[in-house]
Amino acid sequence: MTAAAIQLHDLQKSFGLARIIQGVDLSIEQGERHAIIGPNGAGKSTLFNLITGKYVPTAGQVFMHGQDVGGLKPYQINRMGLSRSFQITNIFAKMTVFENIRCGLLWSMGYKYSFWHLINRQRAVSERADEILENINMTARRDELAGVLTYAEQRALEIGITIAGGADIIMLDEPTAGMSASETSYMVDLIRKVTKDKTLIIVEHDMGVVFDLADRISVLVYGEIIATDTPQKVRQSAAVQEAYLGSALEEAH
Amino acid sequence: MSLFIVNILDGLVTGLLLFMLCSGLTLIFSMMGVLNFAHASFYMLGAYFGYQISTYVGFWPGLVLAPVIVGVIGAAIERYGLRRVHQYGHVPELIFTFGLALLIEEVVQFFWGKSQMAFEAPEALKFAAFSIAGNAFPAYKLFMIFIAIGVFLVLLYILTKTRIGMIIQAALSYPETVQNLGHNVPLIFMGVFGVGTAMAAIAGVIAGPVLGTFPGMAVLLGSIVFVTIVIGGLGSLWGALAASLLIGWLQTFAAAYNLRMADLLTAIGLSEPVDMAESMLSDLWTLTLPQVGPILPYLLMIIVLALRPQGLFGKRET
Amino acid sequence: MSVDNQSLAQRRAPLVPIRSALPWLIASGFLLLLPQVFPSGAGLTIMNQMAITIVFALAYNMLLGQAGMLSFGHAVYMGLGGFFCMHLLNQVEYNDLYLPLPLLPLFGGLFGLFFAFLIGSFSTRRAGTVFAMISLGVGELIAACSIIIVVFFGGEEGVSGDRTMGPEVLGFDFASQLEVYYLTAIWLVVAALGMYLFSRTPMGRIANAVRDNEERAEFLGYSQRYVRWISFCASGFFCGIAGALFAINFEILTEENLNLATSGSILLITFLGGVGFFIGPVIGAVVFTLLQTVLSLYTEIWQLYLGILFVLTVMFFPFGLTGLIAMHFRPWNLGKFGLLVRPYAVMAVPALVFVSSAVAVMEILFHARHASIGDEEMNLFGLTINTHSQVPLLVACVAVVVSFLVIKRLAPGLKEAWDEANHQERGAP
Repeated sequence: MTAAAIQLHDLQKSFGLARIIQGVDLSIEQGERHAIIGPNGAGKSTLFNLITGKYVPTAGQVFMHGQDVGGLKPYQINRMGLSRSFQITNIFAKMTVFENIRCGLLWSMGYKYSFWHLINRQRAVSERADEILENINMTARRDELAGVLTYAEQRALEIGITIAGGADIIMLDEPTAGMSASETSYMVDLIRKVTKDKTLIIVEHDMGVVFDLADRISVLVYGEIIATDTPQKVRQSAAVQEAYLGSALEEAH
Repeated sequence: MSLFIVNILDGLVTGLLLFMLCSGLTLIFSMMGVLNFAHASFYMLGAYFGYQISTYVGFWPGLVLAPVIVGVIGAAIERYGLRRVHQYGHVPELIFTFGLALLIEEVVQFFWGKSQMAFEAPEALKFAAFSIAGNAFPAYKLFMIFIAIGVFLVLLYILTKTRIGMIIQAALSYPETVQNLGHNVPLIFMGVFGVGTAMAAIAGVIAGPVLGTFPGMAVLLGSIVFVTIVIGGLGSLWGALAASLLIGWLQTFAAAYNLRMADLLTAIGLSEPVDMAESMLSDLWTLTLPQVGPILPYLLMIIVLALRPQGLFGKRET
Repeated sequence: MSVDNQSLAQRRAPLVPIRSALPWLIASGFLLLLPQVFPSGAGLTIMNQMAITIVFALAYNMLLGQAGMLSFGHAVYMGLGGFFCMHLLNQVEYNDLYLPLPLLPLFGGLFGLFFAFLIGSFSTRRAGTVFAMISLGVGELIAACSIIIVVFFGGEEGVSGDRTMGPEVLGFDFASQLEVYYLTAIWLVVAALGMYLFSRTPMGRIANAVRDNEERAEFLGYSQRYVRWISFCASGFFCGIAGALFAINFEILTEENLNLATSGSILLITFLGGVGFFIGPVIGAVVFTLLQTVLSLYTEIWQLYLGILFVLTVMFFPFGLTGLIAMHFRPWNLGKFGLLVRPYAVMAVPALVFVSSAVAVMEILFHARHASIGDEEMNLFGLTINTHSQVPLLVACVAVVVSFLVIKRLAPGLKEAWDEANHQERGAP
């Protein structure tokens, strides 16, 4: 029985007196596609940052493949097989698209801190990078500076960099934010294609995307998970409806 | 004992002077995220303007006018220089303020030349306030202490008790929110920068007669100021106060007591090398505390950084 | 699909070495022939100074431009390397240490590397402003220590030595300026090549990544802290080489080599040249050395001009001189460079008048204020001017204002031409 890909045990995070995450228990299996939804301010980004090592838990544990990763630095967690994308596009604007992807490959292909390899001569890296570019349909833009891409292209590149290292747990933070309907459905297909056989954890506001992609959904409200279930059951849950409706009522006032 | 008290007071003067510079710097840094490398240059401008005005109408008008002039110059630099560079990022901002420091030093030399100005304390204060067992303590230094404490109290009052202070504190953390509430944040930035530089100028006017008014005065004090706020913790006003006083006392006491390393080493049993001139350790043996004084702030910074990287009062990053 | 494969294969072909080696071969040839063009002692001195500054600036840019780390105290790594080399030279002279002079820079580099490793262990934990302040503190600490630790730093007089005392290499004893020039030039090429190749390694690329986006870089598996540390060490190594070349050239190192002024000037040089380009520091070093040597012959306030130039560069041309030149590549590539010629020519006249009259104002004011009593006349642009009469100053001021107004009027036209020259037609390849 393989350990869950990600397991959160009574996870808590406070900033000073503000308790953002108030005891979260969650278990995500390997190969599962899991979405985390919730109203604004529920703590989704904080939860993400706790899992990926940006924040240290105030209490509770984060387990990755059965190992406690609380307090580890982001790069250590990444080396253990977890990769994430960012809500605000976080690519290397001054490098070309190709170089962006290539940077994502270097560690996983063993180059580490090498200053004795000439990177342009490394066939294996270049070929792998071109492969990934094809996977995300960015081959045509290979030699453009990443900064001049359109928003949707940058988001696609972001996905590309995220999966480049071969991590088996992929975490995407609102990957379709700010996209039109056609761009969104394109993105969903892309995500489904590149995360095949991997564990996917995704934070999203777009319910269409969530129901399209997710095997299970967790609903995060005020730092607590009020429901974890299949999309169908979550949609019908009274508690969830109240949480969303309730917050809508509050906003109306 | 009396020497001890004199040193306490002297150290207080130095520390408070340092704090006047550090507080303005901290305010600007907390507010705008930019560390004004040219801050000590505004201190220098204050001294020079104070001197120039004092040659026309006397010291006291200089004390009032020089900070105002420098504050206006500072605000203008923020509006037309810093704001422009801000869009390029933090590193260009730092480089800009560094270039500014360079430029101000050259401009000062252009107008006033390279030699020291005869900036004198006002006649009214040229007496001994009191003496402690034969050591006279000049009234001017007492005056410096009062001015510095006065400035600090005014700053504290403004920040905590007035409306504009509240707005500044809010804008410190959430500039966009404050702007959306209708406050003119760019104007506040300009004002804070102007006030910060004006404070540095006040320090310059009162320090000019004592520490000397010459083109190198900014560089001399500048690096100590930055070391001090790193020790106190970037962005913390109380940290700046604590660190300034600490450094002030450290330097004053180091200069006053001629402890010799040779005495210390022989006390623990090591014997002096016979031929001091040829020995490799001659520097160590001839070391005296006054010699080490100037480098103590830097040493302290390294120690603090090693043990507590966020500074004494700094906030740890999550 | 097959077309894509084909172009993919073409792009995957390894770079032909000759094509990328060409600039280096040309540069080396240029350096080789330079003494023929400027054989005088003064010429060689300037060229040597330029070479040393270029190595130092390139090393500094490894940190600033490539790793995004601003250091205010970088002179110490060059200085320490230099001091170490001076001691080695003294050992060669007095203690029969066998060390051929051409190998000296290697040891300078190693010493610089050693100190960068030591100091980087705590200074590179944080980036940005904190790193800059720490570098300032450490730099000042070491500079201040140099007065105290006389045994290594030589106190007020510094450490001097003789480069000719070592074993002869291929018949050279390096007493002549020309021999020193060739030694310096060879090391310049070697060091520059080393730094260039470093930027093309995985480490160099990741340093860029950390510079642009440290959070992202961590999620590529890299510890931003170690990346910064390694970049710092690499920079320290090449700074040490520059220090060694300084020691060889000038045969004396003093506290001046460690102080804030030197750290500041290398920042100025690198930024002026352009931090975003490999060749930027080279251009910055050349221009600065020329300004420093030539300008200082004609005016006493050349440092003021340099300061003004620096601040203007930060404000309006943060990409430096190289950036200014690189800006023109796009119009050139689009074939529209011709559009710019006339606007530039037209603008050149008032610009020239503006600059010269502004300079005149400053020179006259400076002379009027600081010249010795009775010295009423000065030589400006070949004219003799009485600085104590109002007329010249008035003329210059008027010229400044008028030319400024003309420039303001012409500016929109230039901008239009510029936009047009950069505009790519829709559908064009």
